[in-house]
Amino acid sequence: MIYNLALTLVQQPEVLERVLRVVRHRGFKVTTLDMQLAANGTTQVDMVVESERALELLSHQLNKLIDVTECKVLSAEQLSTKLTTRLSTRQIQPASALNA
Amino acid sequence: MEIGPQIRGADAVIKVLAAHGVTTVFGYPGGAIMPIYDALYGAPVEHLLSRHEQGAAFAAVGYARASGKTGVCFATSGPGATNLVTALADALLDSVPLVAITGQVSTAVIGTDAFQEIDVLGMSLSCTKHSFMVTDIDELVPTLYRAFEIAASGRPGPVLVDIPKDIQIAMLDYKTPLLGLMAEPQADASQLAAARVLLAKSSKPMLYVGGGVGMAGAVEQLRNFIDVTGIPSVATLKGLGSITHDSEGYLGMLGMHGGKAANIAVQECDLLIVVGARFDDRVTGRLATFAEHAKVLHLDIDVAELGKLRRPDVAIAGDLRQILPAIAQPMAIAPWLAEIAGLKAQHQWNYDRPGELIFAPKMLNSLANKLPEDSVIACDVGQHQMWVAQHMWFRRPEDHLSSAGLGTMGFGLPAAIGAKVARPDACVVAVSGDGSFMMNVQELTTVKRRQIPLKILLIDNQKLGMVKQWQQLFFEERFSETDLSDNPDFVTMASAFDIPGRTITHSVEVDAALDEMLNTQGPFLLHVRIDEAHNVWPLVPPGACNRDMMDEMEKQT
Repeated sequence: MIYNLALTLVQQPEVLERVLRVVRHRGFKVTTLDMQLAANGTTQVDMVVESERALELLSHQLNKLIDVTECKVLSAEQLSTKLTTRLSTRQIQPASALNA
Repeated sequence: MEIGPQIRGADAVIKVLAAHGVTTVFGYPGGAIMPIYDALYGAPVEHLLSRHEQGAAFAAVGYARASGKTGVCFATSGPGATNLVTALADALLDSVPLVAITGQVSTAVIGTDAFQEIDVLGMSLSCTKHSFMVTDIDELVPTLYRAFEIAASGRPGPVLVDIPKDIQIAMLDYKTPLLGLMAEPQADASQLAAARVLLAKSSKPMLYVGGGVGMAGAVEQLRNFIDVTGIPSVATLKGLGSITHDSEGYLGMLGMHGGKAANIAVQECDLLIVVGARFDDRVTGRLATFAEHAKVLHLDIDVAELGKLRRPDVAIAGDLRQILPAIAQPMAIAPWLAEIAGLKAQHQWNYDRPGELIFAPKMLNSLANKLPEDSVIACDVGQHQMWVAQHMWFRRPEDHLSSAGLGTMGFGLPAAIGAKVARPDACVVAVSGDGSFMMNVQELTTVKRRQIPLKILLIDNQKLGMVKQWQQLFFEERFSETDLSDNPDFVTMASAFDIPGRTITHSVEVDAALDEMLNTQGPFLLHVRIDEAHNVWPLVPPGACNRDMMDEMEKQT
């Protein structure tokens, strides 16, 4: 099954490692991943994961992580719209803006 | 807000410990944690020196489990920190509140493969509830406060704080941080009502009680619930001691080495009330056939456990101290209780053994009956651990320390040291096997150094017994690497640590030897040679249904 997740994380250097470790260990495979540091001090991660297991086995474990403040399940359309909007926004930014 | 004069980061660490009521820490010094050890010198916090960081961390686990307080251990960077990993994993799987503080190389050289540098934060991700690396001196005190809060809140667990050396010597203004309380799940009224309906409709209910009851401080609420409802019960390895052992409907431990009555009753029930337990594979046997006709009411503080392995009919996440009284109601289940009483009578343990050799189950049962009221048993892992669970009895869950989830050999001796420090008036006995004992035997030096008056009951079959038992049953008696007949002379070894002891081999010696051990002032090692042919019975073979238990007679036919 394919699941679409939108995570809000506390900005910590290791937070992406924490999330990806749980995804792998609980039996899910990341097929798409997008991460962005937000101005409000959070990190936004949108990802598509694949597994034969029920989504709750992952979402509950992600919610237990101290630095995960929100774990939302999106429909494929919602995630696709979100990613497309974000990617198109990025394409018009110069490289210097991304590195700022 | 309290503001003090500037102090070193290292001194702030000790100050935070004192503020949390920590009177003893367990650890081992080294280069990158030297400023913290310097701050300890003359501080009001006592330090117990182990002889291996794993010993220190397991002592902190034993301290936490025997007292209900958060255990604290220290280690240096690199090998010091890697040596903590096994005990952190043990604390994670058994939900033990622990704060591990590790020294780290200075921030300027992190990532350069400096001497004794390893990525401790990265290493901690899979074996802690949470972890921190402090890189800003102003974050040190709030981080440590947060670590204590996370370790003890909700489902408890180990938290690691990695502190680089330059942070330890940096100066800070000590301020007591104000933390918001962490949100805990709250049971809602509709779930409680649904649970009461499930109870009302059940004619054959069964309680399956796990370690969560003790961790939640809900032993009294559970016992009241049993008094009000009369529901019969079984316990997991970690749940032992939660239910009064001689209460009428209590059938002891369930699962792979549980009692037959316990396993049959669970298979027969129409409602399984799971309290602070998690459907571990050692409990359920083949999951698909576990209590297969029963509805499930699952109560736990950890939402992630609800529906993880078995879909519950009603699940309530929250504080067991509130949930249990809220759903207790008298039950009309007399025929079921008669059935339970019949099962219990039919499957009593039999301690009659022919021959002169020592029968460990009988010896452990005698030990349980001899122990004073305030006692702690710290087990190692293997056959003796299962015999302790089957044949001893405990007044409280904190009186029985056993590495349940991780099954770590070498747990017993250091855990007993920690328990004796936490409860100096208690009689603390480490029950070990000849395999497990050697895994943290260096901690005998800690016993000697502090003259810790704990007792060691070493059950010796010169085998890695549990593995040997499986080789015998499931690997065609190909005894690969399980012979330990080249063990050292244990009593001579103990004497090298100034610990007196004796060896017994015959059943007639047991009573007097147990008395001698318990009555000796100071530490004592009782080395008990048993028949290597004795195995742990009954047993649910791997992958089998809990109803299909093997016992000794079946093995011989």
